[in-house]
Amino acid sequence: MVSQHGILLAVGIISDHFGPLVAKVCDCLLRHGELSLQEIVRRLELSPGQVKNSLLVLIQHNCVQAFSAPKGRDRTVTLYLAIFDNVLHRLRFSKFLSVIRADIPESEVLIEGLLQNGRLTFDQLVGRTISKVPEGSIRPAREEIRMNLNKLVHAHFVERCPKPEPFIDPLVVQQPTSSRRRAPKNFEKVISLEQKIVNTADLSDAERFSEIPYIIEDASDVNGCSRDPVDSAKRKRGAFEVDEELNSTIAENEVLWRANFEQFTFCLKKKFCADRKKLKLKVGTHPIWESFCEANLTEKDTDSVTSPINGILERLRQKEGGASMTLDQVTRVLEDLQCTTSNENPEAYTFDLRKMVESCRNEEIESLVKKKYGQAAFTIFRLLVTQGGPVETDQIIDTTILDKQIVHSTLYKLWKDDYVDTEKISSVAGTGYAQFYVWRAKSTFREQFIDNLYHAALNLRQMVNYIAELLLEGSKDDTKLRNRKNILILALTRHDDSLMLFHDF
Amino acid sequence: MPPRKRPLEPSSGKPPPPDVKAIVPPPSDPPAAAQEIPPISAAILNNLPGPEREVYKRVYAAGNKGIWSQDLRHSMQLAAPTVTKLTRALVQRGILKEVTDVRHRGKKVFMDSRMEPAPEITGGTWYHNGQLDTEAVAAVRRRCLDQIDRLGAATPDMVHKGVEREDPRAGYMIDQIRDILKTMALDRVLEECRSTGEGEFSAVRSGRVCYRRGGAPQGGMIEGIPCGVCPRIDECSPDGVISPTTCVYYKKWLQMDF
Ligand code: SF4
Repeated sequence: MVSQHGILLAVGIISDHFGPLVAKVCDCLLRHGELSLQEIVRRLELSPGQVKNSLLVLIQHNCVQAFSAPKGRDRTVTLYLAIFDNVLHRLRFSKFLSVIRADIPESEVLIEGLLQNGRLTFDQLVGRTISKVPEGSIRPAREEIRMNLNKLVHAHFVERCPKPEPFIDPLVVQQPTSSRRRAPKNFEKVISLEQKIVNTADLSDAERFSEIPYIIEDASDVNGCSRDPVDSAKRKRGAFEVDEELNSTIAENEVLWRANFEQFTFCLKKKFCADRKKLKLKVGTHPIWESFCEANLTEKDTDSVTSPINGILERLRQKEGGASMTLDQVTRVLEDLQCTTSNENPEAYTFDLRKMVESCRNEEIESLVKKKYGQAAFTIFRLLVTQGGPVETDQIIDTTILDKQIVHSTLYKLWKDDYVDTEKISSVAGTGYAQFYVWRAKSTFREQFIDNLYHAALNLRQMVNYIAELLLEGSKDDTKLRNRKNILILALTRHDDSLMLFHDF
Repeated sequence: MPPRKRPLEPSSGKPPPPDVKAIVPPPSDPPAAAQEIPPISAAILNNLPGPEREVYKRVYAAGNKGIWSQDLRHSMQLAAPTVTKLTRALVQRGILKEVTDVRHRGKKVFMDSRMEPAPEITGGTWYHNGQLDTEAVAAVRRRCLDQIDRLGAATPDMVHKGVEREDPRAGYMIDQIRDILKTMALDRVLEECRSTGEGEFSAVRSGRVCYRRGGAPQGGMIEGIPCGVCPRIDECSPDGVISPTTCVYYKKWLQMDF
């Protein structure tokens, strides 16, 4: 379940981008989960037309997924579900763009088109790309655009849109058919309904990332053949009076393309981890770490980075000071950097991003505890987190070697602000004490931290909007206001790294 | 509940298995012996009048943990002033002493004056007169850090030896060093890790728990903005009395004084 401030933030983003009406529909879906058109109309007291249009906008921008579910014995109903993650991704389009700018610069204009418009056909992309070319420059050929799009598809930055309205029986557990959110078995989480629906709507990996073939010159042909199975299956499933109209508007007889946020998130996650790790590296190990990151080719899943040793060495040779390093030295450093080899493939080194992300999250929370409550609180909190279970007051005093009074007052502060929990335990007779207290880190401190992150982002956005209003009024010093606005926007972009760390990585 | 740790466990007598590879000789000094409890003094007993002798017996029986005056009173079923009078007399004659219990500083605790109070009472090695000796703790932390900086990665044993070599009179026990290293790892000043036996760990036997410098502190992304560290965040809402547009922290941060 998304936290309260998470919803407020998402709704704020939608309101800024698409206006209050669409935001209302989005808010309704985020708060109540999947709903049918009629239910939304009833709850919001809007006209069906208004709701339908709002849903169209949200679907177009990948913020809502429709699906049909059984209703009674042999009828189905179309339900709409807001995809919270995709709404928040709207905050970071500039980051996604810079990933492409660095990786496949020639395709930047295409990805920009998809981010701005949500879903586009190849024809639309061609039209848009050509219209963006400044007067007097050479217009790119359709073939060139096709190749640039294929590069994005090949690198999984762009995908074919999911099925417009898959059939989902909430009672039947669905196995993911695509690589989305594929987690190692022992980490498999309980899949939320949202995830289940996204998984079902996804095409198989082969379909999602199949490029536009060369032979087909006319885009409509491509669309005709690749879309067929999905569309006919949909038709077979029967009549959805109102919703069919809605769906057919979205899923025309053409292939729609969209940005694959998952791949962008993975790239940003890798970059985040690489940068974070850099700060901790010892002298002389920088080139090795960089080479390891650059040599990453194979992607088993989104939780690790694997690079072959040959690739690492090859990159290393090109770096300053890298040529003189022996294989022995390199492998030793890699091991020290927690890059491991497996029995199946002793020639490749894997770095566990999940572990790194986890420790970064802990560091963030601990750092805040230190800033807010001081060094003693930091030590005590870390003790409680690492112990995992309840720890008695005297044991805390002993282990941390801190003054008793300080421990008591700090524990009280942490307890008051919901970081720790306490329990009174009656003592066995004869120990000289009637009772003692045990403490443990609260299981909810992380959710609370995340909610605060959303709240802070919400406030930053509110300030940006507030300053924008002041600018419009024009009553105050323009330059100063503009400066402040830029500071806020920059802070929001940085703050978004925290949101991603805790929510998306 | 885990057992209380405060009384330092007397070491088992056998030297611990070596952490380090053969270049460093194995530890040779025997660990400090547990404190001996003197036998009850017949001379004192014979010289004391009845009630005082009874008090002394009970206090002696409480050993190095001492006895609380209230418990003494209950067990002897005497009035408070009587107990006070008796104990005061014994303290004046140097037979008993009053000690501070670190856990309950207000309590009067009596003990045979020939005994050293147990670590539970004194608070252990880092306590002095019932107060944490923060300076002593800071000093030993500094020494441990010096050793880690010198050795790169080291086991508690290696750190202990290094400290002893530098200052033979310091007299730290290995358990003390181990405790200090643990708190330093909690503080992230040090990092607890397992030796691989190679590279920076080449001096440490592979698989041993050892410590090295913890690296620069990370984190703090949220602290750059006012709301990140705001104590009023729970009361703040978009249209509330406390809101970003009325917020003093934001005003200050953005220097919105125009
Ligand atoms: S806007 Fe001001 S009052 Fe509200 S949470 Fe942020 S710093 Fe605190």
